[in-house]
Order: sequence, then structure tokens, then C-alpha cells
Amino acid sequence: MIIDSHTHVDEVEAWGWTDPPEAIISLMDEAQIEKAVIMTYRDADRPGDPATMYIRSAVQKYPERLIGYVRINPHGPGALDALDEAIGVFRMKGLKLHPVSYLGFPYEEATLRLMRRAAEYHAPVLFHTGDEAFALPEQVAEAARRCPEATVIMAHLGGYAHFEAVLALADELPNVLVDTSAIPYPWVIRQAVDAFGPERVLYASDGPGCLPALEVEKVRLAGLTKHEENLVYFENINRILLGVQHDI
Amino acid sequence: MTFDLRTFIGESFDGRKQNVEDLLRSMDELKIDMALVCPFRPLSYNLHEANLSLAGVIAKHADRLLGAVRIDPWQPDAPKILQRGVEEHGCRALFLNPWEEHFRADTPRLDPLLQRLNTYHIPLIITTGYPWLSEALQVCSLALQWPEIPIVMTNGGQINISGLGQADATLALHKAPNLYIETAGVYRQDFLEETLQMFGPGRILYGSGVPYFDQRYELLRAKYLKATREQINAILGENTLKLLGLGRSIPN
Repeated sequence: MIIDSHTHVDEVEAWGWTDPPEAIISLMDEAQIEKAVIMTYRDADRPGDPATMYIRSAVQKYPERLIGYVRINPHGPGALDALDEAIGVFRMKGLKLHPVSYLGFPYEEATLRLMRRAAEYHAPVLFHTGDEAFALPEQVAEAARRCPEATVIMAHLGGYAHFEAVLALADELPNVLVDTSAIPYPWVIRQAVDAFGPERVLYASDGPGCLPALEVEKVRLAGLTKHEENLVYFENINRILLGVQHDI
Repeated sequence: MTFDLRTFIGESFDGRKQNVEDLLRSMDELKIDMALVCPFRPLSYNLHEANLSLAGVIAKHADRLLGAVRIDPWQPDAPKILQRGVEEHGCRALFLNPWEEHFRADTPRLDPLLQRLNTYHIPLIITTGYPWLSEALQVCSLALQWPEIPIVMTNGGQINISGLGQADATLALHKAPNLYIETAGVYRQDFLEETLQMFGPGRILYGSGVPYFDQRYELLRAKYLKATREQINAILGENTLKLLGLGRSIPN
């Protein structure tokens, strides 16, 4: 059983990224992935935002395969209401933040406000985390530090050159988890399991741009035990998703 | 035929190391026939020593390994080092690392070196994707200045976990037909596949960058491409054989 904890569906002509839900479904089938968490490339900034509605429509079309996260620009005029709509009304399961796309520091108040609300739902906050300004592990860590009630997932394990900074956070920030997507180093997944414990590492592909089947192979090359693999591929994200409360 | 375009032997100043036995063992396990080997930048910062040491190792395994000469363009005798590397030690490529040797990919400082390289008809492999120094469009600028030199951008011409380096890498390939990309660490499989669709398989070369990357995983990256068997064979090795001019003597 595998649940992919970070994939995308969206159609953004400006970036040349056209990924309807069928694209990720096909790649999930190829990789024998049962379910996937989906999010857009665009950031929603108000209730009824087309980005949120795209996710809602995809989940309605494939309810047995796809699980929705809402992706929000914290500076949007209706950011908080967009989160309430997505999780409270549309029953989505988490919040995605990509500070590079909306150019906001992870630790500033608008973002923290959204994180606090997500925490009220017990919904995870998935941060794009990598080598660029606005998404450095140190910046995302400060957000996690200021909002200890939120479950923060650092995507990509810090990217090409910042994985050591992510690994160093394991003991200090118990509310931080990591996902395995995109980072091209299998051995860092082993290091992450050792540093964070196997309960805080989530399999993710960042598909369809990244190939889910190849991302599955990457985790296999990390040298995890069967017990650790089960946690990483499925049990950890399943536990988090089951904990989300939609009525608060 | 599988040819790993970029591997390293020796010990780097940053603590990474790989000896020839480990490299050959890994190649055997993965059925990689040949590899191009680059020297690390050693703790002494003396690339001349590193090149000499590598040449000695390569000479003993000439059936499996070819060498690339690594040069710091700030050194005044850079063209002579290239000459020695190619004519005395049989190196088949020039390897430049702007990030570790601290220069802009399109600096005029490279001119004497590339004038010399231009006479050998062998490629330049340049580490690409590093901010300030070797972004794809900076390497493109270099390629446009030297249109007869095949230039390979490592890492698909980008090191960007947001995917925002793809457009520049693609633009660079459009502008400079002498540019190629190597596959190491290109986490976006769709970028490789779109490059294949746009430019054909001839501009893509399998390289692992081991030990900076995992040779097993990097090989899978190439093998998992949604492409024909012929296209994958070209990427895995045939393109590199042509680019390195195997079977062709090098003028001196």
C-alpha cells in the first residue's frame, strides 16, 4: 500500500504546466500507488477561488484515489476564509504553502495566522522547502517554531543543498515532518529516518513532474527496513489524514 | 552500451571520496560499460596534482575509464595544462567547475583555454545550475561564443527544486545548438521528456555525477524515461561515444 503525500493537478498556461487529474492517476497506476494527496500549482486567495475549485472537482471525480489539499496565498484578501471553505466545507485535508510563488516569508504573521487555523482542524501544513529564498529550511523552521501547534511538513527534505539544515531540526521541532519528494539523494532519506524517526518521514513524489514510480524506487534504495518502509509509504500520512477534523 | 558521462575519483576538499575499485565495482553491478572520470578539487587545491593522479589511475583501466582534465582558469598556465592533459594523458574532455573554482561561466578569462580546446574537437563539461556563476543562460552565453565546441551542461542545466530553472535550460538549448544536457540530479522527469520531444535524443547524455549523486538512482532516471529503446540507448551511451570522439584521433 502506498499513499503519495504530495502531487499536483492543475492547468497553468503561463508556466506551461498542464496536469489534469488523469495525468497523476495514470502515473499512480503505473507505480501501484493507491491514493495521492493533490494540490494546485496556483495559490487561492479567497473562497470560491478557481484553484480550490479545481481540486474539489478532481476529488469529486476520483474520490477513491485523490485527497485534496488547498494551496493558499496567505496575503490574499480572503485567505482565512479560503482555508475554512476548503477544510470545513469541501472537506479537504491539508494546507499547502509555496512561499516562492507568493513571495512571502514563512514566519510572517499572515502565514502564521493560516497555520494556526489549520492546526485547529488538525490539518497538516505542507511547505515547499528548498534552496531558494523564502523557502529555506531555516525560514520554514522559524514558522514551525512560532506555531508549535501546527503539523509542518517540509517538502523535498530541503532540496539539493539544504538537507543538512533540515536534518538538524529533528530534535528541536517535534511538530516538523519531512517528505521525500524530488530530492535526488536516496541516502538522505535514510538519514532522515534516523534523525526524525520513521514516523516523521512521508513518501511523496511531487508528480506528475517527478515520476512517482521513480520516486518509489528512490525510497527503496534508501535501505529502510520493511517496518520503516510501511510507515514512510503509507502509515504516517494515513495517520495524519485520519486526524483531520472538519467541524470545529 | 552504457557510458556514465561524469564520475569522480580521488578525495575532495569537502570530504567526499571515491576510489577506482569502488567505482568499477559499482559499474559492474549496474552493467555500466565505461565512464568518464573527473578529478575532485583536493584539499591542497592543487588541480595539477589531481589531474596527474587521475591520469595514473586511468592508464591502468583504459578499457573502462576515460579521463577529463580539470582546470582552474585563474591559473595563468591553464592552456598548457589542457594541452598536457589531452596530448600526454589522453584526456577526452575539459571539465570546468565554476562553483568550486569561483568564476562566471561566461568570463573572458576562459578565452585562452577555450581557444586551445577548440583545436581538439573534444567537449567541455561544465557544472551548471549554480546561482550567480553557472546558470543555464550564462553557460548559453559561453556556448554562443564558442559554437564549434560541444558543451555539456550538468544537472540538466539547472539546480532548482521549484522547477523554475527549466525554462532557462530549454531556452539555452534552443539558442545554442552546441549545448547538451547531462541527466544527473534532474528530478523533473517531465523536463527530460520534453527536452527529448523538442530536441530529439541527441542532446541528452546520461551521467551520474557519482559520488555527488547515487549512480544506481541516476541510471534508473535515464531508464525510466518514456522513450523508445533506440532513444534510451542513445541517451545511455551512444551520444557520449560520439561526443567524446572515440575511435577518432585527436589532433595536436
